Amino acid sequence: MERSSGNTRMLMRSCLLAAAAAAASAMGALPVSAADEVSQERLLNVDKEPGNWLHHHQNYSAHRFSTLKEVNRDNVKNLKVAWTMHLGGIEGGGIWSHGGLEGTPIAENGFLYVTDGWGSVYKIDAHGGRGALVWKMDPKTDRDWAGAVACCGVDNRGVALWGNLVISHTLDGRLIATNKETGQVAWQRTVADPDKGEVITGAPLIVKNMAITGVAGAEYGIRGWIAATDLSTQKEVWRTHTIPGKGEPGSETWKDSNNAAAAGGGSTWVTGTYDPATDTIIWGIGNPGPDWDNEYRPGDNLYTDSSLALDATTGKIKWHYQHTPNDPYDYDSVAENVLVDVPGPSGPRKLALEADRNGFAYAIDRTNGKFVWGLPFVKKVTWTKGLDAESGKPIEYDPNKSVQTYIASVTPSRTNMETDICPGNMGGKNWPPTAYNPDLKLWYIPVIESCNRIKVEVMTPDKLKPREFWTGGGPSQPFKITGSVTAIDVTTGKIAGKMETPFPNLGGILATPDLIFTGQPSGEVHALDAKSLQKLWEFNTGGGVNAPPMTFTVDGKQYIAILVGLGGAWDKWFIDSTPELKKIQPGSMLYVFAL
Amino acid sequence: MMVFNRFPAAAGVLLAIVVALNFSMSAAAYGQPAQAPASDPTNAGKAVFSRANCVGCHKWHGNGGGGYGGDALSLRKTELTRDQIIETVGCGRPGTGMPFFLRGAYDEVKCHDMNRQDAGAQMPPEGGTFLRPKDIEAVSDYVIAHIKGGGEPTFAECVAFFSSTSRVCDVYKTQAQKPDDAAAASTGKGQ
Repeated sequence: MERSSGNTRMLMRSCLLAAAAAAASAMGALPVSAADEVSQERLLNVDKEPGNWLHHHQNYSAHRFSTLKEVNRDNVKNLKVAWTMHLGGIEGGGIWSHGGLEGTPIAENGFLYVTDGWGSVYKIDAHGGRGALVWKMDPKTDRDWAGAVACCGVDNRGVALWGNLVISHTLDGRLIATNKETGQVAWQRTVADPDKGEVITGAPLIVKNMAITGVAGAEYGIRGWIAATDLSTQKEVWRTHTIPGKGEPGSETWKDSNNAAAAGGGSTWVTGTYDPATDTIIWGIGNPGPDWDNEYRPGDNLYTDSSLALDATTGKIKWHYQHTPNDPYDYDSVAENVLVDVPGPSGPRKLALEADRNGFAYAIDRTNGKFVWGLPFVKKVTWTKGLDAESGKPIEYDPNKSVQTYIASVTPSRTNMETDICPGNMGGKNWPPTAYNPDLKLWYIPVIESCNRIKVEVMTPDKLKPREFWTGGGPSQPFKITGSVTAIDVTTGKIAGKMETPFPNLGGILATPDLIFTGQPSGEVHALDAKSLQKLWEFNTGGGVNAPPMTFTVDGKQYIAILVGLGGAWDKWFIDSTPELKKIQPGSMLYVFAL
Repeated sequence: MMVFNRFPAAAGVLLAIVVALNFSMSAAAYGQPAQAPASDPTNAGKAVFSRANCVGCHKWHGNGGGGYGGDALSLRKTELTRDQIIETVGCGRPGTGMPFFLRGAYDEVKCHDMNRQDAGAQMPPEGGTFLRPKDIEAVSDYVIAHIKGGGEPTFAECVAFFSSTSRVCDVYKTQAQKPDDAAAASTGKGQ
């Protein structure tokens, strides 16, 4: 636990701040050694510095796998709280009564960089077995402006590092570069516009001196995009819309006369992945809007509900794979695409794995976007009988129909105005990230085992208004929702295990050589055996776990860190499905564990 | 913690319930009208509208709307009288996500002629804060004076509600009201 006295800590913090401030004011230059400068070389080779966690998803492939094994199956039962830190950002704004924590800490050379829901960035010195705040950058997010059009909470999933800068987003649409030593904002740029219903909740992806930004707002009639900002010139390099413009390939999949595509959704609010071998960014694309009135937008509605591959240099679309054409369920595909290489019948197979809101896990050939395998990872799917073995499309999908009905008796439509769907509209699997153990070839999915009820509202163009919901109905929660951690053997495409939990998994997963770590919104952090999924350790944080665990070393010792503070969509919109969680209080706390 | 997340039952039925049932605490029992600055006697109610998080579902403009949280009814289009609004705020709307904001509702005082046991599964959720009777009157007066009967929300209404430096109202500006915004946005800096 805490070993240094309060005075020592104060002194150290003062010294750090003073030194940094002096350097900054004297020279305008900063005392940063080359080892602290984050470069493309370092981002490509994170396996050479296993004690750091430099990417939002740990590596460019989104494995969220650490080779650290000081904490392992044999001793994890002795894991204890090393230190904690209260953070801020719990305040409400817009339609939200409070913020929450969904971020993944970044760790570099013994310092942690974390965010709260309103986008404040905290640099924390983790040396010496305790945490000391070095600086906090408060971007002064316009809470009423952004919070009124954030569909799903006051959320910020974390930062990225580049050069001597900490790169972060704010809910009100900004990309901010903060000096890593001083905490001073170096520059900022407006990327998204809340006046259009656009907000940013995801962490940036850094590729070759560019920050890649995704956007949220498909419930507010946006036309989604992915944008790249040059981190030297601060200028936009490219912006690729996820819904084609008139005449572009894919525009023929919007067959209506209402110009539905212009407000067609396709948001991109989960950080994507990067394959350096082909210079390809792979990013998950969100649902079409209006969510539940698919007759308003006949056609397959590309590139909604798709995995999209972009040329990283130009932003040009290389391929797409769509999971739920003409989606009437809000089954988006924003989830991260996990890049794995596994042995195949004719040599190594380069796959992109995605666990979709629609309840199916997909493996796509990431060299060409072709379907390889897919299977349901939830216990109950009612909207389709399954996937076509060849194409991976739902077997009821009819390319000649402009409005898909799938299993019509359960599918929301203008003739089925109130209906129950499984998975419920939150999925399946939502944003909480999966993890992949490359030794065991096991892929771990944080699952929401769910059904819910959808009521359809028939939309008309006059109902489309700036900054107002554009959903074509809404969900309610008459059913209890639980969760699981489900492991898939990537070599076979079969489920290898399922550990059921009383509550949905709203936090995501960390994998280590023989363990996985995860949490529950009821407060528990768990360590499970990587093969059997048997629970080996548990600690109750007393708050709601709504963020992924990560691990790092400092002073040669391994730590597990996790942000705790229930926020997001669940405790406002979905709480009736988990009534026990009504007692979980808002919170904002960093927990760090060690042996 | 917010719990405003159920769909209402048929609105007509509810309206009938609200009108028909005996509200055990009459509006008159709430005493004197809420005190507020002389400039606008409904300012106190505006503060309650924010503090009690009415905006969480009905939005600042009161139009409510669909979305992930279900249908909060439009207070701009409401036909409820002042007394009915007071009753609805105090007692909530059984069977919907509209919470009750009166301390002791359904326990110390009956609501819609029901106690908690009578309400059973129809029991509305408890508001995130309790309001004193004067606050409930004040927020109802605010709804009557500034929201009920309103058309589309306007820039002036938005500025009157927020009185802040937030950009939340910019979207309601008419073209004539925003000569400088295009230039400001194109710089991409300076927030």
